[in-house]
Amino acid sequence: MPKGYLALVLHGHLPYVRHPEHENFLEEDWLYEAITETYVPLIMVFERLVQDKVNFRITLTLSPTLISMLSDALLQERYLNHINKLIELARKEIERTRWQPEFHNLALMYLSEFSKARDTFLRYNRNLVSAFKNFQDLGNLEIITCGATHGYFPLMDIHKESVRAQVKVAVSHYESVFGRKPRGIWLPECGYYPGQDEILKEAGLRFFFSDAHGVLHGTPRPKYGVFAPVYCKGTGVACFARDLESSKQVWSSIEGYPGDYNYREFYRDIGFDLEYEYIKPYIHPDGVRINTGIKYFRITGSGNHKEAYHPQRAHDKAAQQAGNFMFNRQKQVEYLYDFMQKKPLIISPYDAELFGHWWYEGPMWIEFLIRKIVFDQDEIRLTTPSEYLSENPRNQVITPSMSSWGWKGYSEMWLQGTNDWIYRHLHVAAEKMTELAKNYPQVNGLTKRALNQALRELLLAQSSDWAFILGTGTHTEYALRRTKDHILRFNRLYEEIKSNSIDQDWLADIEYKDNIFPGIDYKAHQ
Amino acid sequence: MAKVRKTRKSKRVKVSRAKASPKIELKKETLYAQEIAVGTAKFSHPEAPRRMARTFPQELPSQYGVDKMVLMVRDPWWLYTYWEVNNSTVERLKSELKEEFYKARRILRVYDVTNIIFNGSNANRFFDIQIHEFANNWYIDAANPGRSWCVDLGLILSDGRFITILRSNVVQTPLDGPSWITDEEWMIPDDMFARLYGMGFGQGKSSPVGKAWRQRIISSPGMASMASPVKKPQQKGFWLKVDCELIVYGATEPDAQVTVQAKPINLRPDGTFTLRYALPDGKQVIPVKAVSADKLENRVITPIVTRETK
Repeated sequence: MPKGYLALVLHGHLPYVRHPEHENFLEEDWLYEAITETYVPLIMVFERLVQDKVNFRITLTLSPTLISMLSDALLQERYLNHINKLIELARKEIERTRWQPEFHNLALMYLSEFSKARDTFLRYNRNLVSAFKNFQDLGNLEIITCGATHGYFPLMDIHKESVRAQVKVAVSHYESVFGRKPRGIWLPECGYYPGQDEILKEAGLRFFFSDAHGVLHGTPRPKYGVFAPVYCKGTGVACFARDLESSKQVWSSIEGYPGDYNYREFYRDIGFDLEYEYIKPYIHPDGVRINTGIKYFRITGSGNHKEAYHPQRAHDKAAQQAGNFMFNRQKQVEYLYDFMQKKPLIISPYDAELFGHWWYEGPMWIEFLIRKIVFDQDEIRLTTPSEYLSENPRNQVITPSMSSWGWKGYSEMWLQGTNDWIYRHLHVAAEKMTELAKNYPQVNGLTKRALNQALRELLLAQSSDWAFILGTGTHTEYALRRTKDHILRFNRLYEEIKSNSIDQDWLADIEYKDNIFPGIDYKAHQ
Repeated sequence: MAKVRKTRKSKRVKVSRAKASPKIELKKETLYAQEIAVGTAKFSHPEAPRRMARTFPQELPSQYGVDKMVLMVRDPWWLYTYWEVNNSTVERLKSELKEEFYKARRILRVYDVTNIIFNGSNANRFFDIQIHEFANNWYIDAANPGRSWCVDLGLILSDGRFITILRSNVVQTPLDGPSWITDEEWMIPDDMFARLYGMGFGQGKSSPVGKAWRQRIISSPGMASMASPVKKPQQKGFWLKVDCELIVYGATEPDAQVTVQAKPINLRPDGTFTLRYALPDGKQVIPVKAVSADKLENRVITPIVTRETK
């Protein structure tokens, strides 16, 4: 008899990066790396589980920007070129390392992995979203939505119309992709400001996630802490809070799993290590060295000395750590069950790219964990928020506290000296967008196109990723450029719409560049 | 758990504790460090020095010609406000106040408007921050979590009168600890209840939980250090790396079969070939054998290479 539930939640998101105007664009690699290292490996894990009839449950956010990129024909074509080049490089590496067996075997491993990535990609007709949709249709995956472009809601609260547009555009996009409405949403960065659940309710969303203190510091006190969802006062939208203990086991820089010395070292990539002329065709066309994805070393220790990666040892370690994670959840659930006289729900959310891209062995760890939970014990049961709510509909009503899962738990990551200046521009644009939506209730043709494009530009400018990168203070050039580009395009559209002088060629050009959300309706910004 | 609430005595004292709730903080600080690392790795190319040269877009407007003051919450203790004063508003003030305008002090007046509908004069209390003339944004140490705030940008004239130029929106800072309100309210959403009712199910049970359980949630052991084994290793001081590769190349008839160390290789259309090997220390014997297309002739050449590193 299960004594509690575990909900694994993976948050998959990348900002919209697509530059048809350039033949090569460095930042598009974010997507290609994520496909090869995270999304394909996760799909392969799910495929194996389905094949072995393992009855699993996972909740996965696919942000609308990520879905849009995964479904985009140009980016699909470019990914195919990218993975083909990697396969070519892996073949060369097999030759080059012939007298170094420890690396040679790894080169063989990479060739096999890259080939599988390409096969998987082609098997789903280049559109990996359809793979995830299959797992949802089978009942194993609950796919939830996110802000349309991952705008950070608490700093948008002054113009709620923008929050509404982020939510409504996301929900209708989800519907067009998955053929049904989303039940839940991952608030970008878990950013919640009291009252915004009203907008979620309007959009038909039943639940969202917050960080632990969003619920623990809510009013009145939550009787079961983070171990049961709460309903937001006034709307009844459910809020599920993160369990810090299980997060820490995976995330923590000290005792966290990904830091194990047997695991693959992220920072030693042949893109930086090998002789320049040899590696040049596989790094950036401008000759800047970048990560290729072929990495031969394990973390080894805390110093600079690195030893060759040993796949079997890493594999064993992942199995052992999955067992450790499960054991700790069993103990946690037993303890809580005695205390609560009710089955606790443990919410363990992670950034999807932690698995595979950052923590190479992560997908393997998830697979071990799921198999162990399903076959080796009865104390915990995997669940999703929807399933939990339908079995446990009676929950406490509180007002959660403003919070995020970012640095320091509130808004500082996106509001500090290096990025605070963006809000005066974003807010004025939001105000203007509301004005446009109000003053042009019925339009057609060119004006309608311009209004829809204006909303696209505003949404793209609002991506929290730009503020995040500006906040980290390194390699900020691209984030700065995107913020400026979209705001300037918005401002010009606003002027041209108001003065009825829309430059058709220019509009067509930015529609071609910023082509996200083909079915967008500018009236969502109200 | 002990409440970490303090009354506001001195603003300066609060600066030092301007961070998330200390107990959660210990546990979370390491989580955040790792999350930022993963977030950053997502947007990686960590080593790339300068990217491709790109034309930079034009600058954003420095002003939008509006009167606007926005107040935002950074965390339980700090607020952020930015503002823009339209030129005509400045001109109007100048003509109304004449020289007084230039003598006046610029002030942010921060009102605590918790649980009231603010009308400009009924604030629970307020405090002033003197700012300089060209400031257009400010971080405010409000120091009290769980309160509602509103800010005026204004002038204090030499006779002590306060003149409001702009007024912000109202925001609420979150609590930095558990709420002291423990009244419970429970619900089952109507549609779910209807479904349950139809299926003849009863309602879930609940029972009180104790203090120890709360403490367990909040006060778990903190991390000892922020050092991460996964973090990027730093190069210390001056350094040198050396490695060797060997290039073996040659040519034969384009339709010949060639093996190197008994392993077949591909020829270019003109019959040339190039092979590249990482060269470890030790001796490598590298027989290169070519067999003619009709299998009647063959040639073998065997370079022997020794690498020694001192």
